[in-house]
Amino acid sequence: MDQAIEVAELAKTYNEGQRGVTPVRAVDRISFAVHRGETFGFLGPNGAGKTTTINILTTLIPPSGGTARVMGHDVVTDAYGVREEIGIVPEISNIYEEYSAWDNLMFTARLYGVPKGERERQAQELLRAFGLWEKRSVLSAGFSKGMKRRLCLAMGLMHRPHVLFLDEPTSGLDVQSVLVIRDMIQRLRAEGVTIFLTTHNIEEASQSCDRVAIINYGKLAAVDSPNNLRAAFSGMQSVEVAFRNGDASAVDLGALPSVREVRHNGDKWRLYTDAPGAVIPAVVDWSKASGLDIASLNTLGPSLEEVFIKMTGITPPERPADGGPERGPGRPGGGQRRMG
Amino acid sequence: MNSTTWWRRLRHEAARAWIIAEKDIRIYYAKPPVLMWGIALPFFMFLSWSVGRNRPAGALIPGLIAITVFFTASSIGPVVIPWEKRVRTFERLLTAPVSLSAILLGKTLAGVVFGLAVTLIPLLVGLALGARITEPFILAIGLVLAAGAFASLGILFSTFPSQNVGSVMMPATLIRWPLLFVSGVFVPLSALALWGRALAYLSPLTYANDIIQQAMGGQGYLTPAVDAAALLAFWVVFLWAGLRLHELGRRRGL
Repeated sequence: MDQAIEVAELAKTYNEGQRGVTPVRAVDRISFAVHRGETFGFLGPNGAGKTTTINILTTLIPPSGGTARVMGHDVVTDAYGVREEIGIVPEISNIYEEYSAWDNLMFTARLYGVPKGERERQAQELLRAFGLWEKRSVLSAGFSKGMKRRLCLAMGLMHRPHVLFLDEPTSGLDVQSVLVIRDMIQRLRAEGVTIFLTTHNIEEASQSCDRVAIINYGKLAAVDSPNNLRAAFSGMQSVEVAFRNGDASAVDLGALPSVREVRHNGDKWRLYTDAPGAVIPAVVDWSKASGLDIASLNTLGPSLEEVFIKMTGITPPERPADGGPERGPGRPGGGQRRMG
Repeated sequence: MNSTTWWRRLRHEAARAWIIAEKDIRIYYAKPPVLMWGIALPFFMFLSWSVGRNRPAGALIPGLIAITVFFTASSIGPVVIPWEKRVRTFERLLTAPVSLSAILLGKTLAGVVFGLAVTLIPLLVGLALGARITEPFILAIGLVLAAGAFASLGILFSTFPSQNVGSVMMPATLIRWPLLFVSGVFVPLSALALWGRALAYLSPLTYANDIIQQAMGGQGYLTPAVDAAALLAFWVVFLWAGLRLHELGRRRGL
């Protein structure tokens, strides 16, 4: 068995068959597989079907159609088998705040049938790894958000799962917690644990994941490695320039030959183009003519975030009328959707 | 599934149910809604019913015990489950290798233990005031079965589709009051009209009160065996209905 997760034609419709309520198709016949030991990113805007897919794979809700198997166990007919194989770290840290960190881990271990000697050894190891050993006897209600998240991850690992579902593992956390969690993800990868990761942080997915799937409106838009996805959008190249003195104008930069779109990020201007080789000399000439010194000049490929935006049709919020002359092409997909 | 595997699975599920019950006992017994709906409410209700009556306090004790076990045991499910759904710890249980039946059985056991523990208070007070236990075995059986039936009634209440404890307790209380008033705690079954008795038979509290009365030297209307069988049937039916409704809620993603 090479696949840790196998999903075929998976579908979920809410409110199906309920009188007077409009059915909502949350997941629309998606198919993909996650290899054993792989770190797989699952990206999509809010409402795209990510959480529904995770809920089906973790046996929380049954699908309306199609099949899903985790480590060979069918999520419908062998939910018990699936649950023995998986660890789950949901977006909201669902720890028992009335328990100490130690008691949370002991309860989890007992629930999963971890033998007594092993559960204490494992708890000690995890609490140390997550920097919670000193606080093991303190009620977790008093923990910071990052500490709760680390404890939640430790609880998800108590029974040494083969597949770990991580929903937004580092979202909104302090730097220390982010580093500890990222380090743990790397260690789990090295140990061969399959990781199914959803994240808002596209760059995190780009760095951590072997492959990513992009889901939008319940359908899969793409499944590939971050590098291959970026390569597929090579037309989204850009030239990034920063000036040492004075202010450039988006209108002037946008008027340069071969420039499709201009974006101003901090002290840098990003000029999107299909022909960076033509844009660079034009920028140099224009800066000389305008009396501006170039502080830095780089060519960039598309980031995974840009690929994601392109594929999902997310549009940035509209700027106020006096918010600057920035111009950009219309995006597919129409209305605005928040990334998530 | 052969008999060995079946037996192992049953033991596994029973052990998990107890682990969940133990956790609920440690975490939720001191929660304000549990204390308010489970202890304060029956206590003040009893006071309002007994103050000014020309009956010895000892004679009122069986009724107080029945009311106490009714309110306490049935208050765990509708507090704990919506609470856990709100903070999403219920999901933790649902995704662990344990069946929904075992989870709900664990919640029921927590209700049973809570109901029996709190009921000890009026029982001891009653004994101090002169009440006596004539049939200890029947009293023990009656209390355990009553606590089970009421705790599983609490599980049924908890299927109300809300994650707000107050929103679940409101309808739960609306149902518990009529069950109390038709039960024969205030008016003996023998004094009720035929239609009143027919209504009384619909309330599990009727059988709990009847069996406790008989175990404490009072007059019963039904035999203890009938009371015990009825309480056991309510326990099974409420738990089964609660299980079905929770499964339905999961299918709908509630």
